Amino acid sequence: MRYDIRHITRFDYGNAVKFARCNLRLKPIDWPGQKLEDYALHVAPSGRTTAAYAEAGLAHVTRLVVDERVRRLTIESVARITVDRLVPVPDASDPMIAEVCALARASSDVSAAGPAAYLFPSPLIPLDRAIADYCAPDLSPDRNVLEAGIALARRIQRDFAFDPAATLVDTPPHEAFAKRSGVCQDFAQIMLTGLRAAGLPAAYASGYIRTIPPPGQERLVGADATHAWVLIWCGPQRGWVGVDPTNGIWMAGDHIVVAIGRDYAEIAPVDGVVLGSGAQAMEVSVDVAPIAERIEEPA
Amino acid sequence: MAKEEPLATQPLFDTGTLARRHFDDYAGTSSDTMRAGAAAPWLAVLEELSSVAGDDLGHARERVQRHAIDIGTGFRIIGEDSERPWPVSPMPLLIEAAEWAHIERGVVQRADLFETILADLYGPSRLVERGHFPATLVTGSPFFLRPLVGLAPPGGHHLHFVAIDLGRSPSGEWRVLADHLRAPTGAGYALENRLAVSRTLGGLQARLNVRRHAPFFAAFREGLAAACRRSDPRIGLLTPGRYNPSYPEQAHLARYLGLLLVEGDDLAALEDRLYVRTIAGLKRVDALWRRLDPRLLDPLAFDSHSRIGVPGLIDVWAQGNVVLANAPGAGVLESPAFGAFLPQLSTRLTGADLILPNIATWWCGQPREAAHVAGEFGSMLLSPAFGARTLGLPGDAPVAGADLTPEQRAAFLDDLTRRPQDYVGQEIVRLSTMPVIIEDRLEPRPFTLRVFAARDAQGHWQVLPGGFARIGEHPDPRAAVLGEGTWSADVCVHGAEPVSPVSLLPAPDSLHVRRNPGTLPSRVADNFFWLGRYLERGEALLAAIRVMLGHSIDADTGAAPDEATIAKLVAEIVDSGAAPAPASFRRADLIAFARTAMEARDGWQSVAAINTHAQRIAGGSRDRLSVDMVRLLDAPFPTHRGMLDRAGSLQRRYAAIAGLSAEHMGRTAAWRFHDLGRRIERARAITRAARIFGMSGASAGDLSTLLDLADSQISYRQRYLTGIARVPVVDLTVLDPGNPRALAFQVERVREHLAALPVLDDDGMAEPQQIEATELLALVAPAQAALLDPETLSEVEHRLFRLSEAIARRYFLQGAEPLRASGLTLA
Repeated sequence: MRYDIRHITRFDYGNAVKFARCNLRLKPIDWPGQKLEDYALHVAPSGRTTAAYAEAGLAHVTRLVVDERVRRLTIESVARITVDRLVPVPDASDPMIAEVCALARASSDVSAAGPAAYLFPSPLIPLDRAIADYCAPDLSPDRNVLEAGIALARRIQRDFAFDPAATLVDTPPHEAFAKRSGVCQDFAQIMLTGLRAAGLPAAYASGYIRTIPPPGQERLVGADATHAWVLIWCGPQRGWVGVDPTNGIWMAGDHIVVAIGRDYAEIAPVDGVVLGSGAQAMEVSVDVAPIAERIEEPA
Repeated sequence: MAKEEPLATQPLFDTGTLARRHFDDYAGTSSDTMRAGAAAPWLAVLEELSSVAGDDLGHARERVQRHAIDIGTGFRIIGEDSERPWPVSPMPLLIEAAEWAHIERGVVQRADLFETILADLYGPSRLVERGHFPATLVTGSPFFLRPLVGLAPPGGHHLHFVAIDLGRSPSGEWRVLADHLRAPTGAGYALENRLAVSRTLGGLQARLNVRRHAPFFAAFREGLAAACRRSDPRIGLLTPGRYNPSYPEQAHLARYLGLLLVEGDDLAALEDRLYVRTIAGLKRVDALWRRLDPRLLDPLAFDSHSRIGVPGLIDVWAQGNVVLANAPGAGVLESPAFGAFLPQLSTRLTGADLILPNIATWWCGQPREAAHVAGEFGSMLLSPAFGARTLGLPGDAPVAGADLTPEQRAAFLDDLTRRPQDYVGQEIVRLSTMPVIIEDRLEPRPFTLRVFAARDAQGHWQVLPGGFARIGEHPDPRAAVLGEGTWSADVCVHGAEPVSPVSLLPAPDSLHVRRNPGTLPSRVADNFFWLGRYLERGEALLAAIRVMLGHSIDADTGAAPDEATIAKLVAEIVDSGAAPAPASFRRADLIAFARTAMEARDGWQSVAAINTHAQRIAGGSRDRLSVDMVRLLDAPFPTHRGMLDRAGSLQRRYAAIAGLSAEHMGRTAAWRFHDLGRRIERARAITRAARIFGMSGASAGDLSTLLDLADSQISYRQRYLTGIARVPVVDLTVLDPGNPRALAFQVERVREHLAALPVLDDDGMAEPQQIEATELLALVAPAQAALLDPETLSEVEHRLFRLSEAIARRYFLQGAEPLRASGLTLA
């Protein structure tokens, strides 16, 4: 499937800000099953963009510096990408959870793509006894790791209510867990907490998902959103396999990976520091358009 | 006849006999430090102690503690009750030169080994690739900073200053308990302990040839300077701020080492350079001794929530333009888990065994070690492998396996099967003892030793001869139980070699004479300005309270304030927010009103509240204030006798502070800002007083009050013998440039200060605050007392406000609050 993706982030500042320095993690990374064909980043007012030195996770980090006084900052990320990713089918040759854990612990790959970095709690996803206990029944050590992963994702999808009003972007996992509701990030974080408690290497994936409009309705342009899900390292043969606890499905042709990290802090699409006083308002619009069914956009 | 000595100081026995008695009575076993080595040096210490304390060693303890408090006051946070964390014991730990040389070699070997491993971890990463240890050992540490992989540290070294905790076993072997590679604390306390003990036991240093501390610190500073790109670098100590528990130590070390004490707000990273914001604009900074957690250093590189870091600092570092000591990410080697691999790494990388062995450590991230710990943990110490909380242990501190409850054992063994990488088992270390004064006698107590090493200008490690001993509260010799310890002791390295009287003075031609002591950070200027304003505001409020309470030196003129005058004074005090209006002008109500205005702390701008503001501000610039000033600010409020007496006593205290700042502060830019604050505040107070009490229609009581508020009764009576009249009073208190309390005098000083402070451009044009000051002077200087009207005084007050704003805009950090930019909507 081919997609045209347009992701617009707009900041409006109550008072003009003196200058802004941000990290943008908007350009999709290269990842198995997807190919970036075309990419453009537009910032208004223009500012200076450079590749950042510091990258914590698997992300394209662009440093943006705007040193003129601005009241509004618009960041537009446009990508054309082809996704060709099959739904994984667990089979008898897949390792058991205990085997995966032992392989990850002994790994000699210290890079951001290796499993070792994702074995441990991270600042935004600490270990949690209650979540660990909730997830444990699906994660017994002698179970096929793929089967266990999708089973847990499905259980979270069943047990938790999707409710954008329940949580905020910085709600910690234990709070969303106690409420049994939240959005994609909450479900991903809860699942990551449980997987790591079981000793599995698990990463936070951020990106987009194609949304299918209800029957008889047209797709709404710009009504999509960024999405978050989970990658589990399933041993050297399988590598990283994605599961989506929000929808209770595998990561496949509808998922577009933008960045991967230990937690949100390493993949935040925009973060940084702005010098100014007064409030800031932020508006985000995302449009994921499958090219086959592309519709005319308003000018 | 022989010189008469006072009876009280004559000891029953001579000091040699006393020392021998203390030595013989001591209960330490043969493994004790005092029993294990030669007796003579310890007897020398005991003789010195006996000459101070006689038979009762408790005296010596009190004496040294007094000295420590005395020294410490200079760098303790005022307004907070925090005592130094570890009170000092007068009995130093003695280590003989040959034994010390062994420790020194071990510490240097270890520091070099750490540097080698760090260079690999943040560089080519071959050690993991070749299987020396698994990747998990690195990624498990919360102090591993992946963003820095591939960046070489400016100056070539990750480590500049390290501390290592050692324990001495009963057999006399020194072993490593912990490594501190991020921002080790304690060097300041080592300095303080040495000072306190040597003030008490003055003769000891020469008697035992005790090696000195100063050359070590000089070498550290030279080492930092040598790592910088510029030849005459500016070096700062980056503090998390005055609310950090070790801020007093940081302020003390900054002053001792001559480093600029800076907070994140003081610094700006621009165009790949680091600058400090000073009153003379942005100035380059070449190196930082950072005492800030690495994750907070730069919100763009690490935690974007950090509000105390410097956005872009890591970019500057990556460009090689600022040295950070130590390099961020060095803490990755501090994990207890790493200790399990160090002995092997030492042999493989250097071909030599560790001179100072680690305590035996089993990291459960490997199957065999995990099985060993699962079987033997009852006789082991269990710790989180990376210092972070785990699901299987009750806390994040080490715990003896034997102390776990059955439920805790089960929880530990259960989690050990799932997350074995989170745990280490360690042997339980037993410590030998040293003599400590408990009550009035010597008692053996277990101790640990923190040793410090710093890189010198040649890049070699220097070890501080001595360090910081922590003493256990109980005789229990298990290291784990010692914890933080409760007492500390100086550590003296002694030997046969006489120590040359080292001076910290550099070679005569290596230093050029300077009269301007560096540039003043904007934050410090801000602090000093507001310290001046608050102190002056407190003085003015006290004067108003005193006058209101009916005080007047001027009893013989019969011009005691009448009720109308008192009403105006009360209104002015209420107006300032010091207290709510009194119920009536009866004396009892006025006294209650005065008490609130002086002592209230519940939201009123009382003298006490103003004093607290002044203390807080002074707390942020401790490295630049005199000890006496701090003491006066810190002294408790008087609580005895009547309100009038209390106000008088406080007024005298404030006068003493004013005298200290006038006569004891160097005429630096910092002093100018302090004085600017005082002048502007005093000008404001006298302008208001003149408008209320000095305009046409003023009564004799009003005029007398104005003279009192302006502290000008005596000047007036000397000048005018005829009695009190409006125009001369106004001239004296407002317009006379020769009266140091008059408005005109303040305005002239303000203009002088602003003319003397640095300007940003050398184009000769006046800056806005200078223009404001000149305009104000032009308004005040030609004025005539008879014609001075309330409108003009209101105009003066308004202009003073604008002037203060202009000074703040030009010199201080202000205005812009950093916001976080963060963007995500979630589906």
